[in-house]
Order: sequence, then structure tokens, then C-alpha cells
Amino acid sequence: MPDAASEDAVLLRGIWKRFPGVVANAGANLRVRRGTIHAVLGENGAGKSTLMNVLSGVYRPDEGDLVIDGRARRFSSPADAIAAGVGMVHQEFRLVPTFTVAENVVLGASPLRIDKRDISARVDALADQYGLAADPTRPVWQLSMGERQRVEILKALWRDARVLILDEPTAVLTPAEADELGGIIRRMADEGRSVIFISHKLDEVKAFCDEATVLRGGKTVAESLDVREIEPTRMAELMVGDAGASVAERPAPHPVGKPVLELRGVNALGSRGLPALIDADLTVNEGEIVGIAGVSGNGQRELADVVAGLTPTTSGSIVLAGVDVAGRPPRVRFKAGLAYIPEDRLGVGLAPALSVVDNAILRSYRAHRRGPLLAVERCKRFCEGLVEKFGVKVGNVDDRIGSLSGGNLQRLLLGRELSGEPRLVLAAQPTRGLDVQGVRAIQQLLVDQRDADTGVLLISEDLDELLTLADRLFVMSEGRLLAEFDPTTATRAEIGAAMAGADGAMR
Amino acid sequence: MKRPVLVRRDRVLPGSQAFAFVAGLVVALLFGAILLIASGHDPIEVYGRMWSSSFGSTNGLGRTFNRAVPLALAGLAVAIAGTMGLWNIGAEGQILAGALGAAWVARIGETWSSPALITAMLVAGTIAGLVWALGPALAKAGLGVNEIITTLMLNEVAVRVVRYLLNGAWKDPASLNFPVAPKLPEAARLPGLFGRAHLGVVIALVVIALVAVVVNRSAWGYELRIAGSSGPAAAYAGISLKRKILTVLLVSGAIAGLGGAIELTGNAERITEGISNGYGFAGIIVAALALMRPWAIPAVAVVFGAVQVGGSSIQTLGVPASVADILQALILAGALIAGVLMAYRVRWVSTRAQDPSGDGLEAVAGV
Amino acid sequence: MTKLRRLLLLLAVFAMIAAGCGSDGGDSDSASTDDGATDESAEDDAMAEDDDAMAEDDAMAEDDGEGHSGGAADVIAAFIYIGPPGDAGWTFAHDEGRKAAEAATGATTLFIENVPEGTEDFANAARDFIENEGANLIVGTSFGYMDDMETLAGEYPDVVFEHISGFKSNDSNFGNTFGRMYEPRYLSGMAAASVSETGQLGYVAAFPIPEVIRGINAFTLGARAVNPDATVEVNWTATWFDPPVEGNSAQALIDAGADVIAMHQDSTAAGEVAEAAGVRWVSYNSDMSAFAPEAFVTAPVWDWGPRYTALIEAVGDGSYTPGGYWGGLSDGVVDLAPLADDVPADVAGQIDDLKGQIVDGSFHPFAGPVNDQDGNEVIADGETPDDGSLLGMDYFVEGVIGSAAG
Repeated sequence: MPDAASEDAVLLRGIWKRFPGVVANAGANLRVRRGTIHAVLGENGAGKSTLMNVLSGVYRPDEGDLVIDGRARRFSSPADAIAAGVGMVHQEFRLVPTFTVAENVVLGASPLRIDKRDISARVDALADQYGLAADPTRPVWQLSMGERQRVEILKALWRDARVLILDEPTAVLTPAEADELGGIIRRMADEGRSVIFISHKLDEVKAFCDEATVLRGGKTVAESLDVREIEPTRMAELMVGDAGASVAERPAPHPVGKPVLELRGVNALGSRGLPALIDADLTVNEGEIVGIAGVSGNGQRELADVVAGLTPTTSGSIVLAGVDVAGRPPRVRFKAGLAYIPEDRLGVGLAPALSVVDNAILRSYRAHRRGPLLAVERCKRFCEGLVEKFGVKVGNVDDRIGSLSGGNLQRLLLGRELSGEPRLVLAAQPTRGLDVQGVRAIQQLLVDQRDADTGVLLISEDLDELLTLADRLFVMSEGRLLAEFDPTTATRAEIGAAMAGADGAMR
Repeated sequence: MKRPVLVRRDRVLPGSQAFAFVAGLVVALLFGAILLIASGHDPIEVYGRMWSSSFGSTNGLGRTFNRAVPLALAGLAVAIAGTMGLWNIGAEGQILAGALGAAWVARIGETWSSPALITAMLVAGTIAGLVWALGPALAKAGLGVNEIITTLMLNEVAVRVVRYLLNGAWKDPASLNFPVAPKLPEAARLPGLFGRAHLGVVIALVVIALVAVVVNRSAWGYELRIAGSSGPAAAYAGISLKRKILTVLLVSGAIAGLGGAIELTGNAERITEGISNGYGFAGIIVAALALMRPWAIPAVAVVFGAVQVGGSSIQTLGVPASVADILQALILAGALIAGVLMAYRVRWVSTRAQDPSGDGLEAVAGV
Repeated sequence: MTKLRRLLLLLAVFAMIAAGCGSDGGDSDSASTDDGATDESAEDDAMAEDDDAMAEDDAMAEDDGEGHSGGAADVIAAFIYIGPPGDAGWTFAHDEGRKAAEAATGATTLFIENVPEGTEDFANAARDFIENEGANLIVGTSFGYMDDMETLAGEYPDVVFEHISGFKSNDSNFGNTFGRMYEPRYLSGMAAASVSETGQLGYVAAFPIPEVIRGINAFTLGARAVNPDATVEVNWTATWFDPPVEGNSAQALIDAGADVIAMHQDSTAAGEVAEAAGVRWVSYNSDMSAFAPEAFVTAPVWDWGPRYTALIEAVGDGSYTPGGYWGGLSDGVVDLAPLADDVPADVAGQIDDLKGQIVDGSFHPFAGPVNDQDGNEVIADGETPDDGSLLGMDYFVEGVIGSAAG
């Protein structure tokens, strides 16, 4: 293994990839040695998936070099990447449910004449070689998620992938299955293949991987760390950021008023039907910013949706500005004074196919009616008012909202939400993906709200942002709100440890 | 070896839509000309007849407009449901139900004055279409039952109901026991407009304009567009998706039902089970070509109607039905393919590299 | 306004094509130049004896023979079909008749296929034929064209409209034509019963209308003339042409014990099912023995050639008089296809004798006594029903299993 590892299997240098409104990769680098398991770490939105899609030929980078096995490459489709020996197992599997395991494995890469028995035997042999127990004659719809993942891995091996990318492979696995997967990829690495393991579960990275590269904000912040020598807390710190230049000065403190949001014993299920928010108790008062930190996927989304009324609670009470809103529809909450900046700006907060005007009036269109019709001029004036007041750069208010940049989308969204004079602002990842200027502007708007005696609940993965803005800080892990921190005194290491689950509160 | 793969364009080229449609049409007509020459016909004569029978004369224009009316209303019914991402595949049955409702009014209102009778027939047809969409609408809104399947199945039911009535209660006593309904009274005949065009052309245009205004300008239409653009965004805005699904499918059915009533009073002598004549399915193509936009529907429906009228007319020149059908299909396919190519481009990739996860497998369901 | 522009561009393409082609000239060359069948006009003279409403037949009969009359050769006859001529059934028989008439008269014939009922397509096609191709005879071959033909007859008084299988007419230029298919149906019932071992016959039938009911009854009476215990089970398909449905229907009858399948349908599906199941088949419309050579017994068939020839000649010399034409075996518009070899010689002889008696008028298939399904006498001994009651027949006779209400 040491000899074989002397050469790079994958070398990515200075990869840039921009999407409308977002820069996903801003000069990212990655070096994977042959015969190793390499972790790619980063928060959601850090650019991991984009970088892997570049490597597997799904996206073409705007700039940057791609070298596989010492040869410079330009992939224009996944097929090109496969031909170069790069295979990827996506989070959403791409299997035909009614086909058998063997049929799925050879689909699109089979000999012209298919002898079912022969194919099954060959797939079986391949599975045995790597300990990927899977009956080749069973239809895929009968398989568990873990078994389906093995079929995906077999597909890549069938095509002789020498570099295998696994995108958050353990998200769908039980702990026992995850351990098994660790054994399988180790065997593949011992054979001289390279495995890229995308995750933000640090204990798994520690257990399975040889090296780790950390991405943040589309850039590589730490390259090829030796996993054996680095503490998980340090990896967590790298993921969420050091003292960042992007963050404003800590604002002056502000007197706190009476509670505007009180959660008592709130439970809710996530999209997979499993408990995602467990016994949440939380109070937000007028004139304060309460921060929620944590690695994404630990219940923050459910917390926000439960408060906004988009996800039902299974138990508990939610009192918003004196109104008990548990079980009430979203409109009741907005009438009570909620402003919600959802994590998915386009798709939840904004309707992507509609115009800027149509999106600007999403909350207030009922007030812009003239008879059954919308008063077009009044809507337009309202929109132009928002655009001017919140400095949204927009060509024409009748253009599709999708044509706006990320920062301007967020300004319009925030402007719209704040124009209703809210009592509570609930902001989920409000600055993610924005440039420095945009981050500053959004943060200032939140502070202004606090100073106007509004309560602010800020959910963010940017620890620096939380440490700077929040008056009180909680960490979320495994669906629970953990220890409260004082942002003025807590150290990054303490919080990072809580986020990484290293304080023993879970598992 | 290379093989073609469709790749979605990052952005649609400006002005490309109109150009693509025309290009698709020209290519289709050129292919059609080859086909005609191969089958021993003069393409200039055949295309000339297509033109003269559909647009080239007052009577031709009337035919085309009359044919465009059910196509446009069916297309509008599909399009308004499509605005919310729903597929009403049941316009065929709703048209039949609308014709049935109108025919029922004509049975009880034989003695009424013509304007009263026709108005009542159109209203009854609209209500009947709405009723025909009620089941699928409730099932979709309440239980999430796929509306494609329910609306499609009710098409069959509508045919059976008409057949049942024609074989029983509605059988014309003067028909020597043939299963046909009595002829409609003269008062039920929709007044003419010009040439052979009837007043249904105006009614359809008014309805389309109304729907376009409602979709684009009203609060209701606004909520519809939000819900169609993004379900979560609609929920976020406090819009009840269930109520929207229910109402939009009912409106869709009502529009198709009106189309059936107009077809009955405008073109038919009596109700038959063939009165919907595939308009409900053609409406899907109309709506697709109009990109689900109400304003675009009249133009698409007129062109579609002209293709049908012209395609039938050239058979009287001696062009076999099979060739005429291929010609019609070519023209529609040309326009549709052009529409697809606007959003995608063709790229050639090497076949040596197989593709386990990329573009080529888009159609395969994720597990 | 891009949508408007798109429409204009579309129209422009059409306009360019139209500009390139000039006016559509008088070239009426058409698909009807296919070879016609052999000259069958010799059978025409038989028709003259039939219906009193058919005065034109007499005129035509004089004009028969080799030389095409100038009048008939100038006729442009357009046929509007409900189905495709390739269906081997109803439309095929009409198209054979059209070809035969064209060959016999030298007239120009045109046709259009697959024209649906109850829509404006029929009127559009008829107008195209009249206005663009100069047609002066329009033949519509489906019941549902009746209203349109009546209306158009008023609109184009110089064009003759002849409707097949309907019952309406006017006193100048609109008439109807049909055939006494019950006559060969009766004979086919005799043949069917003679090759049945169980005496259980099956009948795949389209719609419970008088025409179909009459055929079932005649078939049953014929069968029971050979085997008094024979029964005929009816299975309704509710379609004229739908091969899978017709096949399923035949299979259901076979499963219920029938060993001969008759049909009033336009496809050959029932025959193919019978062939596969090893039972026998009486086809309809045309001699379909090629589709199921083992199963085929015989078939009541149409021969429209003589009738269409007569029509064209009557239009050509101006002798057309409208009304109802209902020709039988005596005119040759209906006939019985050749019998299978295993039909017993005595039965074959009987069939031949009865055919002769029907032609000369000494035998009527519905001659009393006839009982209905419940055993009530509906036609008394010694009586024969008039055409009115035949055309409105809505009951099944004794021996039929099934409901005449559908």
C-alpha cells in the first residue's frame, strides 16, 4: 500500500463553479492518493457536492484543472468520468426498482447478448470479492436502503471505477451497516482503489478515513489532513470557521423585554418519519438574538418549520406573541407577528418561476386586492418600495425572481418579511452562500430588528456569525437543544465539541 | 462510436421559441413533401389544398375556427390544471359530460326560446363538466389520489353513460330502434358568425380571455401560480393547497364541459358518444404547445384545427388516410420537437464509456 | 407579444407554401385509379324486379352492357367510409363495390376513409368532394351520417346523396340503401347447425339494434330448421370494430360451450380465436376463409358492386329517384359465401334449394309460425312480416339465449 499510494489518483486544482446567485466552488483543491480513503468535510453549502459533481462529470467547472491518474481531463458528461475510472454513488440512488440486482448492476454496461445466469454469476463473484453480500437475482424494490447502496457500489465496481465517490453514504444506514461499509471500502482501498468519503459525521471520518480535506464557503480550508493525528473538535472548528473576516463587529447590547416565543416540550417528526425534534424548550424575548448552532441535519430545519407552522408538532406548546399557535396554520402565525426567512430561499420563501413583483407581495397580496383582481399598480409600487428600501438590485420588477443574485434574493425576502413589522424574526441560514457585502447587510438588518425590540431566532451553521450576533446561544445535536452558551465567554472549542457530539451527551 | 444525448440548456436563447416553432414546421413540411412525392402525390397541390381548405377561403376559415373551438377549450382546461402542475387527462370525458348536460336541457326545454335554451344548455354543460371532475378533484385534494388515473378512467365512464342513455331512456322513438337520441330542436342551434363559423368561436375567445385575466391578474390566479411554482412556497404563504387543487380541477372540468356543450349546439345534430372526438386528448398537445399559457391557446388551437381540417381535406384529393395522418403527425411532432430542442441541446458522447448515473438514465425512477 | 408573432410566423410559412402553388386546378386524379374488380354489372338486371321505389333501376337495366353510357362515365361518385378499406369487413366490402362500379361504368370514384360520426368531419369531406372535385353522387356508408346527409341534400340539390343502412330520404336527391342480410343469415344458420356437434351456437354481436337482432333471429331460425334443439347464445361487444374485444367475446362463448361462432362484427378476430380453439366460425361482410381456413363454415356477405353501378348509371342519365332500396339475394346485393367441404351434402342441397326459393319469393325466412324467447307467438302460422316490422324488430326468437335489450 505505501508504494502504490505514492501517486495521486485525483488532483483538483483551483476549481470554480458558479450558479445563478451562488458561487458554489471558489478555487477549491483536492488531492487524493491512490489506495486511500479520503474524507471531504464541510457544512451544507460548503461546496462538497458541487466539487464531487465536477469530479464525476455532472458539472463542468468554470475554471480549474482536473487530473486523474496523472492525466489532465475535461469531462463533459458522467460517461466521460466513468471512462476515466471515476464512479459516484449519489445520495439518491438511481436504480430501477423492478429490475434485479444483477440487471441494475449491468444496466447500460452489459454485453450485447445478456445471459441472465452468466451475468448473475459474475455479479455474485464481484460482490463476494468485496464482501458486498447481495443476492443478484432479487428485485431491487425488496432491498433495504443499505442493500441498495451496495448495489450502487457494485455498479461502480462493475464499470471498474478506480476512484469511488460516496456522497454521505451513512445518512441512510444503521450504525451496524455503517461499520460494515467501513470494512468494504477499506478492502477496496487495500486493492489500490481510492475512495472519497463525503460526510459531516466526524466520528465516522475518524474511524474509516486516512486523510481529510475540509471545504468552507466553496474553498479548501485544510487539505489532506492526516486523520489519525487530528482531533474531531479541530475538524469541527475548521468546518464552521475561524474568526472570519466576513462578520461584523459585535453590536452593542440591548435591553431585553418580555417573551415573544415560548416552546415547551415540542416534538416533531422529520421527513423520514423519525423523531427529528425532541423535547425542545426555548424562549426568545423581545430585543434579543437567540442563536442556534449545530451541524446541519440535527433538527434545525424542523425547529424552524415547526415554529413557522410548515411541519406539525406531535406534542408540546408553541406560544407566539401571546397566542398559542400549536396546530394552527401558517397564516395565524404570521398574523401574530412572525417573519420567517426559510433555509430554502428559492422554493419555500420565494416561488422561482414567478416575477419579482409576484414574490414581493407573497405575504401581503390579500391587502392589494381590488375586487377579485390584484391592483397591479399598487403591487408594483409596493415591490418598488421594498426594492428601494432594502437596496435590492433588480433590472425590472417583472423579471423572473430567478434572475436575481443570491444576495439580492435574500434582501428582497428579508425586506418582504420585515415590512410587516414583526414581533419575532425567525431566520434560518440567512447568510449562507452570500458574498461579504450581502452577509453584512443581512446581519445588520437582523441587528436593527433586535434594536427595534423584536425577538430574533437565528439558526446558522456559521459559528462566527452566531458568536458575534447572538445574545444567547444553543447547540443542536441529534434533535435536541443542548447546553446554553454565553457567546461573549464561550470558546470555539467548547462549542465545537458540543456540535461534534464529543461531550458525551449523545450516542 | 458516438451517441446523442439530450442535455438541458442552462438558459433558453432569447427569441428562440418562435424561431424553433417555425423551423420545426418547415422541417416537418419538407419531410412531408418527400413522403408525398414517394407516395405519388404532388406536394404543391396537396399543401395548396391544405391551405385553401383551412385558411384560404371564408368557408375554410369557418371550418378551422369551428374545429379550433373544442381544441382550444380542451387545451385551456388542460392548461389551467397544468398551471398548478396537475394533469387533467379527462377532458375527453368532461366534454362528453358537458354535451350530455346540454342535451338533457334540450330535452326538457324544447319549447323555450332559442336564446334561453342555448344559454341554459351552455350553463348545464359547464356544470356537467364540473361534476365530472368532482370525483378526481376530491380524491386528489383529500386523499392525494393521482388525478391522471382518475380523470382518465372517467372518460370511459362518460362513454358508457351516453351509450346507456342512447340504448334506453333517450332512444329516439322515430329511429326504428336504432340507439340514437332524437334530433336537437332548431332552437338549440347556435347562431352562425360568418361563413360556416358559429358563435362558439366568440364564446371560446371570451372564456379564454377571462381565464387569462383570472390566472394573471386575480388574487385567485396569483395563488394558483404560487402553488404551481412551488408547493412549499404556497404553504409558506398560507395558501391552502387542498382548496386550490379542488377548485382548479373543478374549473378545468367546467371549461371542458362548456366545450362539449358548444360542440353539441354548434356542430352536432344530436348527442352521440363520438362527439368528444379525441378533442380532450388533443387538448393536451394544445396546452403543451401553448406552454400552459392561456393567451397562447387560441393561436395554437387555430393552427392545430387547420392541420386537422387540412389533413382531412387532402384525402378528398386522393391522398390516402395513412399518408394524411402521417403528415398531420409530422407537423405536430415538428412543433413539439422544436419545443423540446429549445430547452435542450443534443450532444454526442462516446459510447465506449457507459453511463450508470448520468443523463442517459433520467427517465429511470430513483429508488 | 411574442405569441402573436409566433402565430404570424406560422401563418407566414403556410402563406409561402400557398403562394408557391397557385390555385388548385381541376386535376381530380385520385387514389381511385386502382384496378377495379371484374365487371359485375351483369347482375344488375336482377335488381330491376325489386322495390317499387326503385324506378331508376329499370332505366339502368336498359342501359346495361359493354359500352359505358356517356352519362355514367361523367359521374363523379364520392364514397365516405366509417372505417379503413383494409378492415376486411364492412368498409372493405363497400370499397370492393366502389371498384366494381367504377370498372363497370367508367365513372370517376373517390373515397375518404375513417370519417367519424357525429362531428363536422362528414360535412367537411362531402363539401370538399362537391366543391373541389365536382362530385355529383355522395355515398355515406355509416348509419350516423344520416342527419348530415339529409341537411346537405337540401343544401346541394344537384348532388345525389345515397345513405347506406339508414331510413331517411327526401323526394328529390336523398335516398337510402340497405340489403336483406337476414336472407343469407338464415342460410348460414343452417350450415352452422349442420357442423355443430353440441347444438350450442355462439353469436358475437355489436349493438342491440334491429339490423343485428334481425340477423341473430334469422340465423337462429335457420339453425333450428336443421336442428330443432339448437340454441344461439349472444354476447354483446358494444363496438363494431375492436379486434381484442371481439376476440374476448368469442372466447367467452366458446368457454360456455359453443362450438360454432357467428358474428355481426367488422374484424376477423372472432375467427382467429375460433381457429385457435378448434371450433367453427361463420364470418360476415366478406368471405373471410383465408383468415381461419379450418374454422370457416360460410359467411353472409355483401356485394355492393351491382347496387353502386346502378346508382351511378341512374345519376348519369338523370333517372335517379330517391327512396328506400332494400335489396336481397334476388338482387345479389347480399349473398352466401361458398360452404365448407364438411357441410353435409343433404344440408348443402337444402340451402341451395331454399336460396332459390328466397330469390323467387316462395320462401321467407321469417314466415310464421315464429315464437319469441318466452314462447309467445309473434308471427302467426301462414303470415310473413311486412318490411316495417322487420325494420323495427326488437325481440329475440325462441332458441336465442341473451337479452335483446343489450
